[in-house]
Amino acid sequence: MTWLRVLLSRLAGRGRTPAELSEEMAAHRALLAAEYERRGMTAEAAHAEARRQFSGTTQALELYYEQRRIPLLDHMSQDVVYALRQLRASPGFTVAAVLTLALGIGANLAIYRVLDAVLFRELPVRDPGGLVQIQFLEGSDPQRVSYPLFRELAARQQVLDSLFAVSDVGLPAPDGGRGFMVSGAYFRTLGIPAQIGRVFTEDDDRPGAQPVAVLSDAYWTREYARSTSAIGRTLQLNGARAAIIGVAPAGFFGETPGAARDFWVPMSLQPVITPGDRINGAAYSWLSMIGRLRPGVTARQAEAALDPLFREFAHLTVTRFGRSYRVRVAPANRGIGDLDRRFERPLWLLMGMAGLVLVMLCSNLANLLLGRAAVRTHEIGVRLALGAGRGRILRQLLTESLVLCAAGVALAIPLGSRGASALAALASVGTGLHLEAGWHQAIFTVAAALACTCMFGLAPAFAATRVDVHSALQAQHRTTAGARRRHFANALVVAQISLSLVLICGAALFARSLWNLRHQDFGMSRNTLLVDIPLELTPQAIAHQGALVWPLYERMNSLPGVRSAAVSAFGPMSSLLRTVGISTPERPAQRTDVTRLVCVSPRFFETMGIPMVAGRGITAEDRAGAAPVVVLNQGAARALFGAGSAIGRSVSQKDRYAARDAMQVIGVARDVRFSSAREPFGFVLYVPIAQSPAPVTGIVLRPAGNPAQAAAAARAAVKSVDPNLKIGAIRNYAEAFEGGLGNDKLLAAIAGTFGLIALALSYIGVYGVLSYAVERRTHEIGIRIALGAGRAGIYRMVLGEASLLMAASLLVGGTGSVAATRALRSTLFGFAAADYTLPLLAAVLLGFAAFAASYLPARRASRLDPVDALRQD
Amino acid sequence: MDNRSEVPYGTLDLMVLKTLDTLGTLHGYGIARRIEQVAEGALELNQGTIYPALLRLEQKGWITSHWGASDNNRRARFYTITRAGRKQFAEEAENWSRTVAMMARMLEGES
Repeated sequence: MTWLRVLLSRLAGRGRTPAELSEEMAAHRALLAAEYERRGMTAEAAHAEARRQFSGTTQALELYYEQRRIPLLDHMSQDVVYALRQLRASPGFTVAAVLTLALGIGANLAIYRVLDAVLFRELPVRDPGGLVQIQFLEGSDPQRVSYPLFRELAARQQVLDSLFAVSDVGLPAPDGGRGFMVSGAYFRTLGIPAQIGRVFTEDDDRPGAQPVAVLSDAYWTREYARSTSAIGRTLQLNGARAAIIGVAPAGFFGETPGAARDFWVPMSLQPVITPGDRINGAAYSWLSMIGRLRPGVTARQAEAALDPLFREFAHLTVTRFGRSYRVRVAPANRGIGDLDRRFERPLWLLMGMAGLVLVMLCSNLANLLLGRAAVRTHEIGVRLALGAGRGRILRQLLTESLVLCAAGVALAIPLGSRGASALAALASVGTGLHLEAGWHQAIFTVAAALACTCMFGLAPAFAATRVDVHSALQAQHRTTAGARRRHFANALVVAQISLSLVLICGAALFARSLWNLRHQDFGMSRNTLLVDIPLELTPQAIAHQGALVWPLYERMNSLPGVRSAAVSAFGPMSSLLRTVGISTPERPAQRTDVTRLVCVSPRFFETMGIPMVAGRGITAEDRAGAAPVVVLNQGAARALFGAGSAIGRSVSQKDRYAARDAMQVIGVARDVRFSSAREPFGFVLYVPIAQSPAPVTGIVLRPAGNPAQAAAAARAAVKSVDPNLKIGAIRNYAEAFEGGLGNDKLLAAIAGTFGLIALALSYIGVYGVLSYAVERRTHEIGIRIALGAGRAGIYRMVLGEASLLMAASLLVGGTGSVAATRALRSTLFGFAAADYTLPLLAAVLLGFAAFAASYLPARRASRLDPVDALRQD
Repeated sequence: MDNRSEVPYGTLDLMVLKTLDTLGTLHGYGIARRIEQVAEGALELNQGTIYPALLRLEQKGWITSHWGASDNNRRARFYTITRAGRKQFAEEAENWSRTVAMMARMLEGES
């Protein structure tokens, strides 16, 4: 540990300078001389004697230097200085290398930052590892719970230190902020204190308590300019004026990553600030629950303890379809929400592509360095001859790479943070993500930098130091190491082209997949307009919107500019879906069936542009009291009746067939994409809304003329039927699907960028290696031309070399591309199982690029003047 | 004939530690003088060699130093033994005694 102490004292400037040591020793000699004088010597003799007694001052100083040295560190600083000098000597190379590294590492950093924020970051709260989400599963789908159920659980449970409920229903504040209702134990459970003022507690969350609100740091900054006078001001929230009592700490965004909150209010305020009484009404399922496990209690034990409680109070929440229920206690250290699930795959894919690009960049750099090493053979030979150890030179060359890489990283860090924000915005990952650097990212950066240095620096450094001193000194340029170096350079180019083939292939696949998604046959007209009517799952809203079915149907069909219109419940693009069982006398419902029930008015199929494959659609004749009828989609018809005709057969909307509630199949409709561009078709039962009354959740219109005018007219018409009815988006299906393509667009855009970079890099790589080959063989080519080889022959020779490189690359890269195509299959859309057209096209494109790159060196070789060529050394 | 002997290898550090342990804070000259006095002329000490030893000991953390004024009012550096130095000295002294005793037994037995 002595070196550490030396280092520390050197850093702290505590060590002595040589001058101080000399002064100390001079003082010593003076004391010695004084002593001799006291004993009676003359001053001169005394000084001479003192010098004799105190000899070896120089040795002492030298020893002093020796002891103060930390050899590794001193060599390193020497190397860094030398490296900087070397790099300054070739500014073009240095700038190019640093910029490519900055871009490559920056892209990786940007993607990693988003990946880290989405997948790895824990909530910025006290002991996030202890947090759990308490879920009520219906089948395997987590269900929201009602407030009464939460209240009973919170009061009776014994396995959690505390439990709170949150709602993701936003409360708009007048100034545009969005607040959220949370139960009183929220801040206590998360362990979040206020940075100013106080946070609210269970005491503030009692009926009749003074209304209060806690602001987020971002909102406080945005709306109150971080003024402490915000405390005591009020927020007007519908019927309540909530007093601002505190501000949450900076960095705390709430419990749902990607959905930053502006302020929080206690849940007991709900009846005053939003419609309906959800605090006492069991009909509303709107809450998620998070708790903190008691020390020593496992998630399993908590599940076992909570399950009977859930069963006891299940009647306090809406259970819709009588499936099996259970309780799940899942870790909530990273918060709740589905951000990670939605973005995990695309982010890993992007990370993989960015990694490949970085590897390509590194191999390109390695090639450049190899070229430099060739130029420096003589210098290195001299240094070896003068007794420098190979290890020492190796270390020095690596230091040069490390310096390059460090400069690249220095630029990459700001690039990465900009890129991360841009990527998060492009991917609409949400607000409040922690994109700033953390220790994860620091480790990632250092690891990436070191990996890069090794990738591009190690091999060229080894190649450069493997020189035969004798020949290096004798010949100015040519060495026996040349051939080996050339093989290595060739291998690097093969690696580059192979990787870029994989990347270009990936880019083509993603682009094509996006095109397929957009241009697929949705099974219905693209131009039909959908008016989304949101539905609150309350008995009042359901009854109210149920009564609007016929008035809306009549009104819409009488609109000028509308060719036909229909209303539906749980129909296409609705956020609500209703699943049922379906059975025939021969086939009871299967566990794996996913059957959705859609209640439609007459004219639905013609308005939607869904062709009937057999039979007829639902008409006005299918009224209440008439024989119950149903239209199946193709998928359901095929599964239930096989190849035979479905028309006239009976199905029952139950898990087991019962003649009592049988419905007769009157038609088979084409399969359509129901809620997103890539959703599987599944089974769909269309029933007349007259026979199965349901609330309106959507209106579909087929405009006769201008769609925008039809949309405006429809909006006005809905308002004239019911001025209070909420209207969601009005858009056609192509637009509606576009919203669900975010990840596909992101992948296509970034893969496309990476593909272009890869193409450029492989062009440069091929050009570089062939130019070097031609230059190295100038002499030989000169002789060939002198002996009568034709220009065409020389072309053939260089292009032959390029062909060999290409053949090897396409073999390796082609295998990689096929593997990548297979691995991506589940992410891609609309490709046949063995469709390898795109990898093939990518290979052809790359082949053209490579031959274009080899054309210039080949031309240069063919135009060599044999006399000049032979005169070269 | 001069029967003064050179400083045996490795013992100078021990002597310096012992001196500082006994006399407390001293400058380089003081340490050298003390060692010569104790040796009663039996030791040929090149006083310059004491400085590398002082540096070594300081780097190991066994002594510390600071600037002060000497008897003749010159600037001099004063050395003090540290707690780690005392511990080290105790160990080394123990080792040394054992070695000496062992050598003595061996030489007696052989002669």
